[in-house]
Amino acid sequence: MVEALIKRNLKTHPQLNFPDYKSSRLRAPKNKKISFSSTSTEISGPVFNKDIIGKLDNDLTLNFSKNNILPIGHKIIVFGTISDQFANPIEGALIEIWQANAAGKYLHHNDNNTAPIDPNFAGCGRYITSSKGYYEFITIQPGPYPYPNRGIEWRPMHIHFSVFGKNFGQRLITQMYFEGDPLINSCPMVNSIPDEKAKHSLISTLDTSRYNTKKLLSYKFDIILRGTNQTFFENRKEGL
Amino acid sequence: MSDIKTVLDETPFQTAGPFLHIGCLPNAINIEGVFDNDLGVKPFVNKDYDKFIKITGSVFDGDGKALDDIMLESWQSDENGVYSPESGFARFVPNRLTKKFNLYTVKPGFINNIDGKAQSPHILLSISSRGLNMTLNTRIYFEGDDLTSDPLLSIVRNSRNDVSSLVAKKIDEDIFLFDIFLQGDKETIFLDI
Repeated sequence: MVEALIKRNLKTHPQLNFPDYKSSRLRAPKNKKISFSSTSTEISGPVFNKDIIGKLDNDLTLNFSKNNILPIGHKIIVFGTISDQFANPIEGALIEIWQANAAGKYLHHNDNNTAPIDPNFAGCGRYITSSKGYYEFITIQPGPYPYPNRGIEWRPMHIHFSVFGKNFGQRLITQMYFEGDPLINSCPMVNSIPDEKAKHSLISTLDTSRYNTKKLLSYKFDIILRGTNQTFFENRKEGL
Repeated sequence: MSDIKTVLDETPFQTAGPFLHIGCLPNAINIEGVFDNDLGVKPFVNKDYDKFIKITGSVFDGDGKALDDIMLESWQSDENGVYSPESGFARFVPNRLTKKFNLYTVKPGFINNIDGKAQSPHILLSISSRGLNMTLNTRIYFEGDDLTSDPLLSIVRNSRNDVSSLVAKKIDEDIFLFDIFLQGDKETIFLDI
């Protein structure tokens, strides 16, 4: 018996060729990807030690603040769990996030928006999940912003997520959206996902049960990474 | 394995967008003082730099333009073909002026696969950027190695005649060229890993 990744269901993922998202036109490959059974290369992967994570790495309201001045905007909690496709929580998963500030501006040389930079907000955070796959970030609600696509369009409020699980086959880069944002429905990046349920799974939900304990608006976003199965190899004798 | 388990849908990918450096390589764009170090600056910290190979190349879009707003990640075994979770991962971006990326690493060895067969030395390479709704994956094999019995290359040969887009060209002693073409006549072979 050996471990193999569950085959990816491409209907629940965005289409690479999606002309409504203009940047995909010259970048999306045209040929079909090659499918194959997992090898030792995909079922292994880097695992990161908790000691790389600094004390403020998951608090974006403090990790770039100068002289204890808080960034502008309203402070929120983004939390959830990381599990695999069989609902097993994944401990030790590394999550990296990045986002715009409250005005919808990224601290980046390629961001041409005229919105202001916040000198106390870099917009990056990272965290390694605890034993139940739990993670939590304290941050500022990111603003929506205009970008050139089919003319000027507006991105819904979002936070970028990069996740490392237990193997390279579980590697995921995605975006989290916010419940109730009217810009989600017209976003071509969201709409590149054909499956409605899959699309909806990227929208975090406001968790009102936390009003009293956390005293901040809390958004819940659970992430599911690839699962692995045990399979037989025909050319291998049992017990070898 | 008689119990049938419910299989949940994987969380969908979304593009990493043009500003991925903020979260993945903040120090590289001068966002300093947040993370001590960017992840994957060196794939092997305790190995002898003199024995490293260099893999260089560019990533081209459908207009043949070399891109610089992309992120590459590599995952590989050590020189003996052994994977270990502590090392073998690197993260890098093309130079903004030359549009070339450089990966300095150990040349991987022949890898014992889970089915007992050997895989030829290779590096798994992923590409994320604006315009890519999902991260792309490919493999770097090496010119000069025995590539005849590698299981993945055999599968590729069965569906496409040409595996050359997966093979880095040896351009000098310990220097390999690996250009990636996202579209067009020379489109690189990408993998559904």
